[in-house]
Amino acid sequence: MAKDHRAGSKVRGDKLPAILMANLLLEGDTVFLTDSGWTLDPSAAKIAHDAETAAAMEAEGKAAAAANVVVDPYLVPVDLTEGGHAIARHFRDAMRQKGPSIHPDMGKQAEFPPLD
Amino acid sequence: MYRYDEFDERFVRERVAQFRGQVERRLDGSLTEDEFKPLRLKNGLYLQLHAYMLRIAVPYGTLNSRQLRQLAHIAETYDKGYGHFTTRQNLQFNWPKLKDVPDILDLLADVEMHCIQTSGNCIRNVTSDQFAGVARDEVEDPRPTAELLRQWSSLHPEFVWLPRKFKIAVTGAEHDRAAIKVHDIGLKLKTDDTGEVGYEVIVGGGLGRTPMIGKVIREFLPKDELLAYLEAVMRVYNSEGRRDNKYKARVKILVHETGEDEFRARVEEEYSKLDGPTINAPEEEVERIAAYFASPAYETLPEVSEALDDARARDGALDRFVEQNGFTHKQPGYIALTIALKEIGAVPGDMSADQMRAFADIAERYSFDEFRVTHSQNLVLPHVKKDDVPAVFAALKAVGLASANAGLITDIIACPGLDYCALATAKSIPIAQDIAKTFADEARQKAIGPLPIKISGCINACGHHHVGAIGILGLEKGGRENYQITVGGDASEHAALGERLGPGIDAEDVPAAIEAIVATYLGEKRGEETFIETVRRTGPEPFKAGFTAFIEARAAASEAAE
Amino acid sequence: MTLITEQGAIEDRFFRADTIEAALSANGPVLVPLALAADFVEAKPGTEFGVSVPGSTPIDEVAPHLGRASLISVEFPAFSDGRGLSLAKKILRQGFSGTLRASGPLIADQFLDAIGCGFTEVELPETMANRQPFQQWMAAKETMTDHYQSGYGPGPSILQKRLAARKGA
Repeated sequence: MAKDHRAGSKVRGDKLPAILMANLLLEGDTVFLTDSGWTLDPSAAKIAHDAETAAAMEAEGKAAAAANVVVDPYLVPVDLTEGGHAIARHFRDAMRQKGPSIHPDMGKQAEFPPLD
Repeated sequence: MYRYDEFDERFVRERVAQFRGQVERRLDGSLTEDEFKPLRLKNGLYLQLHAYMLRIAVPYGTLNSRQLRQLAHIAETYDKGYGHFTTRQNLQFNWPKLKDVPDILDLLADVEMHCIQTSGNCIRNVTSDQFAGVARDEVEDPRPTAELLRQWSSLHPEFVWLPRKFKIAVTGAEHDRAAIKVHDIGLKLKTDDTGEVGYEVIVGGGLGRTPMIGKVIREFLPKDELLAYLEAVMRVYNSEGRRDNKYKARVKILVHETGEDEFRARVEEEYSKLDGPTINAPEEEVERIAAYFASPAYETLPEVSEALDDARARDGALDRFVEQNGFTHKQPGYIALTIALKEIGAVPGDMSADQMRAFADIAERYSFDEFRVTHSQNLVLPHVKKDDVPAVFAALKAVGLASANAGLITDIIACPGLDYCALATAKSIPIAQDIAKTFADEARQKAIGPLPIKISGCINACGHHHVGAIGILGLEKGGRENYQITVGGDASEHAALGERLGPGIDAEDVPAAIEAIVATYLGEKRGEETFIETVRRTGPEPFKAGFTAFIEARAAASEAAE
Repeated sequence: MTLITEQGAIEDRFFRADTIEAALSANGPVLVPLALAADFVEAKPGTEFGVSVPGSTPIDEVAPHLGRASLISVEFPAFSDGRGLSLAKKILRQGFSGTLRASGPLIADQFLDAIGCGFTEVELPETMANRQPFQQWMAAKETMTDHYQSGYGPGPSILQKRLAARKGA
């Protein structure tokens, strides 16, 4: 069911660069794949610039889901900021990177540096 | 209100232990995510955009102060210090962790609460009239029926793997405040010619992708036949409801595709094969449950309270609050008060842990330790002595719970939308906040009168937009959030689905579009007509014309700006 | 395949035959699809047999075999498809007294539902039985002591127990 609502697949045009997003099974928090495991910090997400890297990240996400570490991993197409951070192209995924718009005091936006 | 006996207590405790075991089996890989998901959903646990979300059942919307204090404790210990009352009279926490959920369920069980079947393809939490036991137009209190159904539907061996979710609402009043015509099953308590009490049974209503008004399947069902008859309805649905397409799986589609008469015939055929006495609740059990809902020990009081009248004459804010949020009580000298969780600019339905504790104190002291949750995401103090209203108002005001806008244009209901929800296609809460700010002026609200606005952030319609006098549906269009507006929806006994006014608009245009719709109403209005009465008389045409003019003016203005 | 009853895992006495030839050449009890049941009875009257039916089957199509078959196996295409539970109720209402089997990728958490609707055994594909061995099914069976619904097993409902307690008091 979740697959129907994956926003990234609705983004037109290039699917790269991309980051890999999921939720931790035991906590529920949104997490991002890095070179060494998962991070809660959206600014630390590993960015895939080529299809090969993206495929490897996707495989790593699937393996982590199979190992009952994360749930629902998927690649998210992003744009890069001047500071080199990845911002999801789709507003739904961007919301997951930040936290609820109505509560700037909650979620990633309150806990981690801004993506700029 | 109902209290658990030893059986209920053990049932809920065992259910918590069962879920604890399911979490462990998920972590060790015995259960896959696909298998675990329906199990967690049947315990109210969703995985949303940022975190898990736990939906706690508030059966037929009734709570006491001890329960609310426990919810405040959970909010502070395991969440971010607040909870969110939903359009199904439930409460949601937006940030729990899976590992903590079994402990949270144990804390809920401590105060006779649970999360059983607040989600999933099963019979959901039964909803009812927030003024049950209070309203003067009541044939019979619907809560004993709702409690019987809560028990009967809990972990029903046959009906926990239905084609889709299944929602039941019960009302006992002439004026329908439970929206029974837009539920999978709506039950209305009524009397027949001989004075016997029974139910009108409505099946196949619902909102969502394909909104439909329910059909009367049985004009009069004797009260003691309820469970067997519902078993027949559920068996026909479980056997024949579509499972090939989740968007066509609700019972409303089965009723529609089968035809009302044929569906009724199938239910009656199934019913004729059942041995009612072996299924229905024993009369003693129905009476045992009903006894819990006996009226509280009211004082004998005059209908008019001079103390309140004097206070209202002195305090304009109090006067407006009572006028707008008061509801006539069947007991002389008492009043029911709606507490609108709709401060201008606040999140509809949100309540902080501090507010919960303060409100628990108020309910305990002034309303026989009881309050209700409404499907408009508000609360009700059901039994307040009129003499006490000034004190209650002061106490509410001190914690930001004294908004005098119940039923007005700023009393907006909104689903969580894209701020939280994994299914949402657009934001919902910020739209409500913007509209409320636009119409913040109290005199203006009062001049506009009753006008329920309902906002959903996706086609699933948790915000009930189809039955809003003004309904707003947020969708995604071309990579942007886009809002469709309807008028004429009605969830009452005059149930009607809203009609679309025109093309979808951007979020920032919504408040001005609502102003244009309101201007049309005020121009068309005759006498004391409310908004919905005007729409009912004129039809949507003048509103469509006004909306089209608004869109054209908007387009012209933006062209001029470029 | 693994076969689980309330007492634990047991051997399957029945041989599953998908063609009439296979059914007729088998020794011992045979489990045949609904479409072959009439032919099988005609060809081998008096032989013990079972009938396999999808959960979506109308009861009228199953009813003719209920007096002769000693096993009805209701097939669940997916664990989330509850039609077989309603079919079980209808089969038992017809007076069927043989073995009622639920077959398919059910999860242990559904054991109480299956028992409640009158199933006496569950047949699992090996992939499921490997992940959720019969011990999990035995444990799942014990998670809930009581049920509210009269007319569902095992034992009296909570409503009936309350009534009995009041009458005894």
